[in-house]
Amino acid sequence: MVKNLNIWFLSSLLISVGVLIPIVTVFFSFFEETSNYYQILKDTFLFEYIFNSFVLLICVLVLTFIIGTTCAYLVSFYKFPFSDFFKWALILSFAVPPYIYAYSLTAFFENYGTAFTILTNLFGEGEYNKHIPKFDGLIGAVFSLSFSLYAYVYILSRASFLYQSQNLIDLGKSLGFSKFKSLYSLILPAARPAIVAGLSLVAMETLAEFGAVDFFSINTLTTGIYNSWITFDDLAFSNRLSFFLLIFIFACFIIENYSRKKAKYHFNSRGGFKQKEKIKLSGKKSFFAFLFCFIIFLLSFLFPLSQMLYWTIKFPENLFDIDVISLTLNTIYLVILSSIVLILFSLISNYGNRVSRNKVLNFLSTISISGYAIPGVILAVAFISFIAWFDENIVKSLGFLSIKKIFIGSVLGLVLVYFVRFYSLAFNGIKSGYEKINISVDESSYLLGYSKKKTFMNIHVPFLRNSLLFVGILISLEIIRELPITLILRPFNFETFATTAYISASEDLLEAAAVPSLFLILIATLFIMLTSKYILRENER
Amino acid sequence: MSDSYLEIKNVDFTIGGKIKVKNASFVIENEGDTLCILGPSGIGKTTILRTIAGLENIEKGSIKLNGKLISSKDKHVEPEYRNVSLAFQDNSLFPHYTVEKNILLGTERNKVKKKKKLTSKEIIDLLDISKILKKYPHEISAGEAQRASLARSLLTQPDLLLLDEPLSNVDQSFKEEIQVRLKKILSKLKITTIIVTHDSYEAFYLGHKCAIILDSQIKQFDDPYNVYHFPNSVEVVNFLNRGILIPAKVTGENSLENKDLGTINGNFIKHYPKGSNVQLLLQPEDLEHDDKSNLKLEVVDRKFRGTNFIYTLKTSSDLLIPVFVHSHHEHQHEADEKFGIKRPIHIDHIVCF
Repeated sequence: MVKNLNIWFLSSLLISVGVLIPIVTVFFSFFEETSNYYQILKDTFLFEYIFNSFVLLICVLVLTFIIGTTCAYLVSFYKFPFSDFFKWALILSFAVPPYIYAYSLTAFFENYGTAFTILTNLFGEGEYNKHIPKFDGLIGAVFSLSFSLYAYVYILSRASFLYQSQNLIDLGKSLGFSKFKSLYSLILPAARPAIVAGLSLVAMETLAEFGAVDFFSINTLTTGIYNSWITFDDLAFSNRLSFFLLIFIFACFIIENYSRKKAKYHFNSRGGFKQKEKIKLSGKKSFFAFLFCFIIFLLSFLFPLSQMLYWTIKFPENLFDIDVISLTLNTIYLVILSSIVLILFSLISNYGNRVSRNKVLNFLSTISISGYAIPGVILAVAFISFIAWFDENIVKSLGFLSIKKIFIGSVLGLVLVYFVRFYSLAFNGIKSGYEKINISVDESSYLLGYSKKKTFMNIHVPFLRNSLLFVGILISLEIIRELPITLILRPFNFETFATTAYISASEDLLEAAAVPSLFLILIATLFIMLTSKYILRENER
Repeated sequence: MSDSYLEIKNVDFTIGGKIKVKNASFVIENEGDTLCILGPSGIGKTTILRTIAGLENIEKGSIKLNGKLISSKDKHVEPEYRNVSLAFQDNSLFPHYTVEKNILLGTERNKVKKKKKLTSKEIIDLLDISKILKKYPHEISAGEAQRASLARSLLTQPDLLLLDEPLSNVDQSFKEEIQVRLKKILSKLKITTIIVTHDSYEAFYLGHKCAIILDSQIKQFDDPYNVYHFPNSVEVVNFLNRGILIPAKVTGENSLENKDLGTINGNFIKHYPKGSNVQLLLQPEDLEHDDKSNLKLEVVDRKFRGTNFIYTLKTSSDLLIPVFVHSHHEHQHEADEKFGIKRPIHIDHIVCF
């Protein structure tokens, strides 16, 4: 409708199209010519890439399902010592990115590593190396990813368990079910959509993971994309690999979306809802519940944190080798700049969608948020591909100077790709805030003589203040942990805690990686503690 | 017609591409008049208000306010520039502001106009919302939210005030008082108003004119008295549900005959030839109780309505007829007893179809 063609509609449209460019580039690049490397790889490693990605995916899904749902079940249905502490402590694993977990795992179990030192201190000199298990390769990657990502399953299944009515539990009892039978025949099926949604997020993150799998030298599709571009300088082929990976990921994305819809339905059906009372455990049962949660908390958070802390204390010289202030400032700079850009544009886009009520715009916005499902490596490569194409075919043909330097290896390029990657976080976060504002509130505002701009500034922004804060913290957390995009697109000599840790680790200087890793964990923990209140409150409502 | 304060001409009122009210034309002649729109749920009453407010576009016809074209196929003045205020049926208070702040937002627009005739305090007192001013919308009842929303709309001093079921959530005990206060405020501020309501008594009390919407069209547009006493179609009679239609035969210039009630005299509002078979509108106040009458009908039901009883009587042909009796009437009749009707029956204005 002509009426809809206002500045809000156009801004929204531009933002959605802008976000879509790298995503579309990946698809179109599939049809481009590649070098001989493609043929070589097709005959040799391609199958291995796909196989490893698949095995990694299945193992991580199984482990995160077991850890995530068991923890959620225990803290949602039972009272035992420290159960209220574990409720939020179990989400702290988010502060430890899989690659830092991988460094910790290796540092602890390697020959003459921390485990060896502990055993020597306890029992004196000995041939302990032979008996200490080695968690490297695929097993190491599975553990690193599982202990870092299980919180997705934990948070979503806990939210679903909390909404389960006491009636459901009573129904199990009246049918004579044991607690275990109630769990697998009533409670888990009722929470299935939430669990599937959590597992889909784990799947997307696993397929996108670069740092940990690269550290353990496992050939997956993601590392293949990175290597084909960095080592063989074949951008077209890395795009082609990206296409394969995207098909994997879109399958997960569709499953996740499908499940989420059902989950929404589930949460809304509150008829006959009866708040359930937690069962107080005692004796052995209480001890085992506590033990299980404690072990998970220990392995997922305390272990990597103490390993990094131990090394920082053991090798204090590393503390002075890195410029902590400069790394902190760089990280803060990126966090603030990206958060502002993301929040501002997501707000405009959401409002544009709301005001215009245009189906095309709505569709574009929906697919533009798929950026989150695309691994950072792919987005970075797609961005470079697009800039290179645009520079070659448009800018130069018009007689202008090359724009590559403005976008590649610059903070601007970095922020733009962060924007595409985390747009869905910001867009959906603000959207859920907007869903709480009845459309008649907007209409009342217009009828009080407020223009659309004034309605936006005076009515919506103050109302969305908490949502914006929450979204800002979530984005910050993601950017602090983000590795591949920063690694590929950062300006020369511009480092963050994540890239410094990665570079030291990739040079086999794990002790040096400890300091930036420790800072990263501490900052991320702080952000999680700030958001945990929102996450838990949101889910308990 | 062009001198009217509000003029709606051949407008199709649509929402989501679906026509709700077809080819509607009506006017509000004078500034300060109140029009009440009545109709069943989902018929398009709210759509009419939304369209006049500028929240919906029109593809056909025109809307003029105070001589200015505000809506047509080619022109659409945005809601924020119309100075038309709409109080929604549901709670449309801004959730992050207190009731007081919400209400005072209404004064921002009239700062420019400087035609204030009532202060915000007076309106707050009139609508009895002083106790909830410091509360947030989620802390007050639906009825209080409606009154707060009404106060905000009144404070904007709009050129046209649109109220969508303004008192639907207000407690019954308080409703009549608020109706009286609202009528006073509207009259004092001389605000032209359109009220959508499903309560015909509310419409008859507040409206200078009433519009009845049925079957996607305006079936009757008239004074409240005429709408009640001279409904222009069987559909309007059925919708108002304030009487029944019984078969009768025209026997003379001023008389009809019903086989159960006998002769009925009165003044026809429309001429029917002698011998015509018609449907006569019989309203509860048309028949009078008389214990001594030989015309006896069987009592089926008796409803106590405070000031009166409504008896439902069955005739020999199984027609069910409602009759009002003052509640202080000396004796009451139980179900299955006989109930006398005064003869001869005289009806002031005879409405037939």
